[in-house]
Amino acid sequence: MQERSLMFHMIRSELEDAVGVENVSTKKNERAVYSVDYFWLSRKWQDAGEEGPMPDIVVRPGSTEEVSKVLKIANYYKIPVTTWGGGSGSQGGALPVAGGILLDIKRMDKLIDLNVEAGTVTCETGMIFSTLEDYVNEKGYSVMHLPSCMTCCTVGGALAHNGIGILSTKYGKMDDMCLSLEVVLPNGDIIDTLPVPKHSTGPNLLPFFIGSEGTLGIMTKAKFKIVKLPEVRTHHAFLFSDIHVGYEACREIVQAVKPSIMRLFDEAETVSIVKKVIGFEKKGSFLNLTLEGHKKIVAAEEEIVLEIAEKYGAQYLGHEYGEKWFENRITFFYPGHIMDLPQMFGTLDTVATHDNIEKIYRAMKSAIEDNFQENKVRFISHSSHWYDWGAMNYSRFIIDNPPKDPEEALRLHNRIWNAGVRATLANGGVLNDHHGIGLKLSRLMKEQYGPAMQVLQALKKELDPNGIMNPYKLGL
Amino acid sequence: MVSQKALQHAEKCRFCWMCRHLCPVQHQTGKELNTPRAKGLLLSMVSKKSAEFDRDMAQAMYECMLCDACVNDCCTGYQPPLFIREARTEAVVNELAPEAVMQLIENVETSGNIYGTVKPSFAREGTDVLVYIGEVAACKVSGMAKALLNILEKTGIRAKVLDNEPASGAMLADLMGYVEEVTQQASACADAINAAKLPTVVVLDSYDAEIMKQRYAEWGCEIKAEVVTATAYVAKLLEEGKLAPKSKKRGSGVCHDDDRLARSFYEFAPVRAMAKAAGFDLAEMFNRERLAKSCGSAVALGYMPEITIKVAGGRWQDMIRTDAKAMLVANPQAYLCLSQCVPAEKELVDLFTALDESL
Ligand SMILES: Cc1cc2nc3c(=O)[nH]c(=O)nc-3n(C[C@H](O)[C@H](O)[C@H](O)COP(=O)(O)OP(=O)(O)OC[C@H]3O[C@@H](n4cnc5c(N)ncnc54)[C@H](O)[C@@H]3O)c2cc1C
Ligand code: SF4
Ligand code: SF4
Repeated sequence: MQERSLMFHMIRSELEDAVGVENVSTKKNERAVYSVDYFWLSRKWQDAGEEGPMPDIVVRPGSTEEVSKVLKIANYYKIPVTTWGGGSGSQGGALPVAGGILLDIKRMDKLIDLNVEAGTVTCETGMIFSTLEDYVNEKGYSVMHLPSCMTCCTVGGALAHNGIGILSTKYGKMDDMCLSLEVVLPNGDIIDTLPVPKHSTGPNLLPFFIGSEGTLGIMTKAKFKIVKLPEVRTHHAFLFSDIHVGYEACREIVQAVKPSIMRLFDEAETVSIVKKVIGFEKKGSFLNLTLEGHKKIVAAEEEIVLEIAEKYGAQYLGHEYGEKWFENRITFFYPGHIMDLPQMFGTLDTVATHDNIEKIYRAMKSAIEDNFQENKVRFISHSSHWYDWGAMNYSRFIIDNPPKDPEEALRLHNRIWNAGVRATLANGGVLNDHHGIGLKLSRLMKEQYGPAMQVLQALKKELDPNGIMNPYKLGL
Repeated sequence: MVSQKALQHAEKCRFCWMCRHLCPVQHQTGKELNTPRAKGLLLSMVSKKSAEFDRDMAQAMYECMLCDACVNDCCTGYQPPLFIREARTEAVVNELAPEAVMQLIENVETSGNIYGTVKPSFAREGTDVLVYIGEVAACKVSGMAKALLNILEKTGIRAKVLDNEPASGAMLADLMGYVEEVTQQASACADAINAAKLPTVVVLDSYDAEIMKQRYAEWGCEIKAEVVTATAYVAKLLEEGKLAPKSKKRGSGVCHDDDRLARSFYEFAPVRAMAKAAGFDLAEMFNRERLAKSCGSAVALGYMPEITIKVAGGRWQDMIRTDAKAMLVANPQAYLCLSQCVPAEKELVDLFTALDESL
């Protein structure tokens, strides 16, 4: 959009009419803060003094009806709309790469209903997730979604990437927690998914939107289930001789009981990040595990876990390190405690069935370590979300001295991602577990889906024929 | 631009998302611009010459309560208020600050306080302690000042209040950073307090107490007397049995921990002791003590009333969810902000007055 053109001002005034003059901005500094999200490349770009992708106009709706009005305007004029929650996504999903309208959803942060009898809470999706959790905790309940980004992501952002929290092994991820949604479609229509998530009333609408990264519509309200805060929560830690034994033991544990937290670290991460943050000094494969719920059930689960761990020769480290990990669970993410520029880094999280997960770990490790030796790449990994059928790997690469030139850095960054992700795909994994696709992995969606991609494309074409919603993301 | 130290903090915060949930301005405006990281990012962009420090950016630097909530929940030691305050200096020096801010600065220059009026005098002679009233209580919440003095009188403490009580510098520091004009005010204030030659100065407004206790020494204008917050002082009198409130039931209330008591002094018990003594059954808000949500400041109310009233409204919302009847406040600035939007059927209570009434 040409900012000085007559049409620009016509559209701007229409948007002002829809959401209020004070909620529309074309100020440069206001637009500039949307040019950097948590995606490493956007940070690198800014750090190098380059101008990042900026919207033409920032719009901040305060209600579903206002979102609807904005989308009607955008759809008519065929203006790109990128929804921004907290901007904490690591995949560049919220970056307004096509310009147009940046729809900051954070004014929509109302608590709509908290019903402890029904076990549900409903809110607008611009609410910061920790605020929602605070509201529910006030009544002695929890949504049980405790991601490390809890204090910075919005409810909508968590849904849009189908995010996951540290308690996921017991309570699941976003799509296990969300019961229903209100969505504004690209043409401005407001729809509700069915009131419950499980039914035989045709295909479920919920999964179309959870994980859709703002490409199919804007989620405006969400209902979640809530559960009572646990009677007890006990933390434990173990040390395995190596990650292979760890994978075996964890599979057996998760097929027997349901820990809330189960995080198995490879040796490289045990001796680096785990050591730094909780002061654990030994080599091997560190596991912290948490059980919670009713006291009697937890006691029985504890017995089973200890038996299995012993069977696999694990050294039981008691409660201390598990507690320390829990206390410091977000310390890992503060500046100075985790990777930061000028380092290059990325999280290649994936999920697979138990028979493939270790294969993927090894294939990805060698694809990265062997191919990028001259860059002195380091590879660390842990597995933090487990299912009875499989597990995820949260694998990271780190380069301490990447190219200074941002374009050169971009190419190296993408080559590493291509190598790591292709090793995953070749071994039965998927592009991503919980951070999403965004801009970062968009180009690889067709490789992942093959001909199945046409299902997603058809959906996109039907719901968003003008392609206004979050262009260039999710391979759509 | 800002100092190397401030820039270093800005550079660290620019890519960190961890504390936005605590920012009351972010909550009420819903603007990405009003997150601590966005303000760091903008200053980083300026230092890299990919953005200009213009009037709009200056405006953004003023959309902050300097409430320290972000700093307090952070394990790094980086401080958004540090670079935001320095950016304000930059804004004022370069004549980019919002007009409303410049008006308040002019008021301070002409009248010594942000209200541009003659500050009402509470002057009295006394030989036990010096009471520092501060401009917000004197000009806007005089009931609180009178109640504090009454309480002391009822205890038999002879309190002195300065005639022409000088400004502490706290207001000007929020408006334009820790500049020379502020240290000059601090120095004059310290001189006046030192001249009183009393062993204790009881400071009613915790914003004044903060600058006196935590900044004056580094500027070479230390106060010789012991600086005590009025809440801590009164709570001690209660603890020592020097005050005997009549038992009177006043229903349920929640204490609001003001920004400075909560995060500069970590002082939580005295306000609650006062509330109990005044006859309140205490409930608690979820975000309290160090994590208490700001309800705004008098300075912010002066230059951005709309946002500040929204911020105060946000604090009322926290209170409403507790089912308590009254919001209990012992800071004049908090009282002033919260009084702008008292919800129906809820009561705003100045704890000094409540306690005075129960004596
Ligand atoms: C320190 C840190 C730790 C993290 N830890 C975790 C973790 O433990 N678990 C985890 O899952 N992720 C984690 N992440 C990643 C990130 O926080 C999540 O992806 C989060 O869900 C993004 O939420 P957001 O509100 O910031 O979304 P944004 O980054 O603003 O947006 C992400 C995507 O969602 C879309 N979107 C946002 N709101 C809506 C809406 N209402 N309707 C439709 N589309 C929308 C955007 O267009 C974009 O495509 C972490 C990130 C950080 C910075
Ligand atoms: S103050 Fe701490 S938590 Fe907030 S942005 Fe800075 S480093 Fe992050
Ligand atoms: S000082 Fe308070 S208002 Fe300012 S950025 Fe930090 S949390 Fe927000």
